[in-house]
Amino acid sequence: MNSLKKYLLNSDGHFGKFGGRYVPELLIPIMEELQKAFLQAKKDSSFKKDLLNLYHNYSGRPTPLYFCENLTRKIGGAKIYLKNEGLNHTGAHKINHCLGQALLAKRMGKKRLIAETGAGQHGLATATVAAKFGLKCRVYMGARDVERQRPNVFWMEQLGAEVIPVKEGGQILRDAINAALRDLISNPEDTHYLLGTVCGPHPYPVINTYFQKIVGEEVKKQLGALPDYLVACVGGGSNAMGLFYNFLDDKKVQMLAVEAGGKGIKKEKGKFTHAARFQAGEVGVVEGFKSYFLQNSEGQIEETFSISAGLDYSGVGPQLAYLHDIGRVEFTYAVDDEVMAAYKLLAKTEGIFAALESAHAVAGAIKLAKNLPKNKTIVMNCSGRGDKDLFIVTKKLGDENFANFLKKQA
Amino acid sequence: MKKLMTHIVAGYPSLKKSEELLRLMAKNGADFIEIQIPFSDPVADGPTIMQANQKSLEAGTKVEDCFELMKKMTKIGSETKFLFMTYFNILHHYGVEKFCSRAAKCGCYGLIVPDMPIDEEAQEHYLKNCRKHGLAPIQIISPLTPERRLKMIAKVAAHPARHGALASAEGFVYCVSRFGTTGQESKLNPQLSSYLKKVKKHIKVPLAVGFGISNKAHVEAVWKEADIAVVGSKIINILNENSGDLKKLEEFVKGLKL
Repeated sequence: MNSLKKYLLNSDGHFGKFGGRYVPELLIPIMEELQKAFLQAKKDSSFKKDLLNLYHNYSGRPTPLYFCENLTRKIGGAKIYLKNEGLNHTGAHKINHCLGQALLAKRMGKKRLIAETGAGQHGLATATVAAKFGLKCRVYMGARDVERQRPNVFWMEQLGAEVIPVKEGGQILRDAINAALRDLISNPEDTHYLLGTVCGPHPYPVINTYFQKIVGEEVKKQLGALPDYLVACVGGGSNAMGLFYNFLDDKKVQMLAVEAGGKGIKKEKGKFTHAARFQAGEVGVVEGFKSYFLQNSEGQIEETFSISAGLDYSGVGPQLAYLHDIGRVEFTYAVDDEVMAAYKLLAKTEGIFAALESAHAVAGAIKLAKNLPKNKTIVMNCSGRGDKDLFIVTKKLGDENFANFLKKQA
Repeated sequence: MKKLMTHIVAGYPSLKKSEELLRLMAKNGADFIEIQIPFSDPVADGPTIMQANQKSLEAGTKVEDCFELMKKMTKIGSETKFLFMTYFNILHHYGVEKFCSRAAKCGCYGLIVPDMPIDEEAQEHYLKNCRKHGLAPIQIISPLTPERRLKMIAKVAAHPARHGALASAEGFVYCVSRFGTTGQESKLNPQLSSYLKKVKKHIKVPLAVGFGISNKAHVEAVWKEADIAVVGSKIINILNENSGDLKKLEEFVKGLKL
């Protein structure tokens, strides 16, 4: 039987009709160089040793797989386990591929890292590895995201990174990716673009899946048995690929991916009010790869909406598009209100603040658990912790005391 | 005879203005003109053209408008050849075959699609459809393109496209002059000459050179080494600086060919 695992790390970067390398000619040699460096590193035992060492001693891996006993009892269905990626250094799974790519950048002799960021988690992780490895760092962030994720901007700057607010387009994640690609086109020789998800031109989806697969590998060991379901949120798809990858060939394991439902799967005044690509997207080619994108009838990419900046993206990783089309991964969505309810419930029952992105997975897992018998197990990926969302959550919950506190500080 | 290619973004600042601009440039010596179909994510373009894309889309420009514009321009009886420049999702969404067929029917000479590298041909049949409909699929080369790829691109570029089923058009290869996105520059890449020499060893069709070509001196320098000088962002900048008044632009374009 064919191994899906092998196929999704293939060396030409096509996954069925998805993926590919649709970039301007100037970037082709750069992508080829990165691919070559990656393939060599993968075979190099010292590279693997360095990476594992960083995972363990810098980031704090393995992260716990925690049985949510109280939440499980409260829901009254399947057993819910939580993979706590939020306990990584910098607070999310993003550090996994940042460490890997920083090692690659070093091998290639690059002097400068650039990155895009939505919620700021990937930018923060990039700024962190840049500081650690002595590389210059510039992070592109949509101007709207800069507004809603100011704390992360401050931390990135403290780490020595230059944060550039991107004022084009919808001023969110997609615009930041475009700006980073333009930077790479302008500085192809000394710069490594540390792309932060399983999107973009080949080899990025393959590389980031490879660096994130540690998540699922740990889960398999920690659980000691195969789970019945895996649940993850999906923006670009890096945490989902990280959790799912190692189980892809275990047919018994079912996989559920939760997209951002925003204000609901409808259009308001002709605009999308969500970021659920598998609900309303069409196949297209944007930002160097082929996948599902939210676009209009003309093939123009549309703006998206979500309470979580990290899921507020019009495209999705090409490997996930393939897994969707062959039916290996089921896709659903959670709307903002469900996400807030899940966020609060997890905090009250287990004492864990999930990032708003990850709270989509929590919402998905809760819904799923309700309708399953008690002998089934679900593993949900809590891809990040919620501290960064302090300002969004207090506003969303209308906390007057916090608003007054901010006024007094100002 | 050295040639000039200019560029506009269709619908910027308006479709009516685009048409005036095209007529003016055709009349004043542009041998080729790129009509850019605006796209939401133009990754190879710098700030000037990027903003023009965004404004044109905000004004409601549709792909259909661009076809109509092409049809109108190819009927004005000028010698100028008109090309479509855009990004691959526009073709993909329209249907590659359907797009090529429609573009050819509108009299389009060729297509410039920077994010459609030859490597994805097996997936997309872009070259195949261009040829089938007599469009020149203009290939792009950069200073980083290695010899191995120059050879691959040479093979594609040498394949003659039938133009409008009548004359045979050999097309040309578009050499990006330097690293970076499109945009005005004060100085040319000092290594331009050695770069183009390397390209010419492999590519035997005419060469166009663009990106950062923004005055008469640049154009002259390009003509020493190549056949077609491409002036893009500078034209939009002049347009912006003169709030749409075309007089300055007319002088500028005329001056480039003198």
